[in-house]
Amino acid sequence: MPLLKEDTHAQQSKLAEYCKTGVKPDLIGVIQENLHHYRRLVFNIGIDTIETAYPITYRFLPDEIWDKLVYDFYAEHKCKTPQVWRMPMEFYEYCVEKDIQAKLGYRFLNDLLYFEWLEMEVHTMDDIAYPPIKTEGDWLNNILALNPEHKLVKFTYPVHMLAATELEGKAGDYFLLMYREKESGRVQCMDISILYAYILEQLQNGATLQEILTEADTLFQINNFEMLKEHALNFVNDLKQREFILGFLNT
Amino acid sequence: MQLKDNKHIGIGFRKDFSEELLASDILKPAFIELAPENWIGMGGYWKKQLDKAAEKYPITCHGLSLSIGSPDDLDLDFLHKIKKFIKQYNVQIYSEHLSYAKCDNAHLYDLLPIPFRKDAVKHIISRIKQVQDVLEMPLAIENVSYYTPVAAEMDEATFISEIVNGSGCNLLLDVNNVYVNSFNHKYNAKEFITKLPLDKVAYIHMAGHEQISDTVIIDTHGEAIIDPVFDLFEYTTVLLKPVPVLLERDFNIPELEELQGEITRMETIVSKTWKKEHAIA
Ligand SMILES: [Fe+2]
Repeated sequence: MPLLKEDTHAQQSKLAEYCKTGVKPDLIGVIQENLHHYRRLVFNIGIDTIETAYPITYRFLPDEIWDKLVYDFYAEHKCKTPQVWRMPMEFYEYCVEKDIQAKLGYRFLNDLLYFEWLEMEVHTMDDIAYPPIKTEGDWLNNILALNPEHKLVKFTYPVHMLAATELEGKAGDYFLLMYREKESGRVQCMDISILYAYILEQLQNGATLQEILTEADTLFQINNFEMLKEHALNFVNDLKQREFILGFLNT
Repeated sequence: MQLKDNKHIGIGFRKDFSEELLASDILKPAFIELAPENWIGMGGYWKKQLDKAAEKYPITCHGLSLSIGSPDDLDLDFLHKIKKFIKQYNVQIYSEHLSYAKCDNAHLYDLLPIPFRKDAVKHIISRIKQVQDVLEMPLAIENVSYYTPVAAEMDEATFISEIVNGSGCNLLLDVNNVYVNSFNHKYNAKEFITKLPLDKVAYIHMAGHEQISDTVIIDTHGEAIIDPVFDLFEYTTVLLKPVPVLLERDFNIPELEELQGEITRMETIVSKTWKKEHAIA
């Protein structure tokens, strides 16, 4: 039998529910005029956390729409993470699940929120062990070692390049490489083409550049291996300069 | 707990001033306190800062989301993460709030008042024991500020005492919270303190607050500590054996010199009251 009586549990639930919704509860023995502090304190923590995580979306959406969105989220959603700084991810998931972008008529909203969350995610995510590397090798035939602390994502809207007010009507295929610099911990963003996204994805999978380019030459109907090789080597060299490509995998 | 330079007063480790704290010696805390929730699973820049801090200072942990007073089951997954963190950083004191922050599977990220009731006491005692079993160390529970009681059937001091005595846990005595509650609920702060199981006090918190009306003080951790709270602190230390004391400052962070001023003032107080005890011992 549970030690906590149903009635006590119910009192606790009512107070918690009030903090989520702001709808006054009937609680026993409370100081009515002080109750609102709990709603205010809880709600302010939620608002601050979400607005700090999504500054672009917050500025872009009209105030009344933003306020209602945050209000609905807090009232309807049960935050699962015990770590408040991870809570904005649940806000993003909530918006996707409720298809808020369709309801509001901003079809780029999911992409924009995800882009903003991703910056935080890449900045704070747990350290990932760097692979063993060697500095000497062959760019085409050795496996390249990448900075493991990165995300390669596809967007339908160029949320990483344009202001939110300019996104309407720009639907397409956009690829973003986001990575964390090892020493500084700074997050870097790079817009890349679909071809380079493909190359990166295959490099991640452990293919050599020679293998990838042979495949890509027909897949993208380039049919000019030498030109493709020159471009790809430039790309790889650029990533090496940016310290995203670390060298050659030391297997 | 091994404190730096044989001092007693520590400071809450906040991202807002972590760089300055680590790069200078303006602040001279005996230890730092942090919320494990804010650091578990975090890598990159902040992990490096945390590791630097851990090299420089002993660490205590003050949790936010364990929600010891919740009707929900304990989040054992999360508790194991805390245990790992505590081991990793050689944390000697882990404290949590005597409140609830999660209810019916929803986290609220704030401290709600538990009904001061017999069944809640039993429920919380069993949860504290469970936590202590998992962590293999005592938990220190903190008296929290509250702005209204809910469905109370006993007074706050009885509620705290029964839980501490029944569970065998330690008490984190937040002196500012006693002051805030004594103001908000019109009781005598000193009398309240004498009713607590003072032999179980393992840790003290000190902080500033904000009086927002004639009848209400909010525990903001955003202002300097006021003189009456320093007085209550001095009164309290006389009744206690030496324990680590923490200055909590979460918002409206002033120049570090100002925070060090508060640390020095507390250090001066305890050097008077606790030196004597050392001499006797
Ligand atoms: Fe405290």
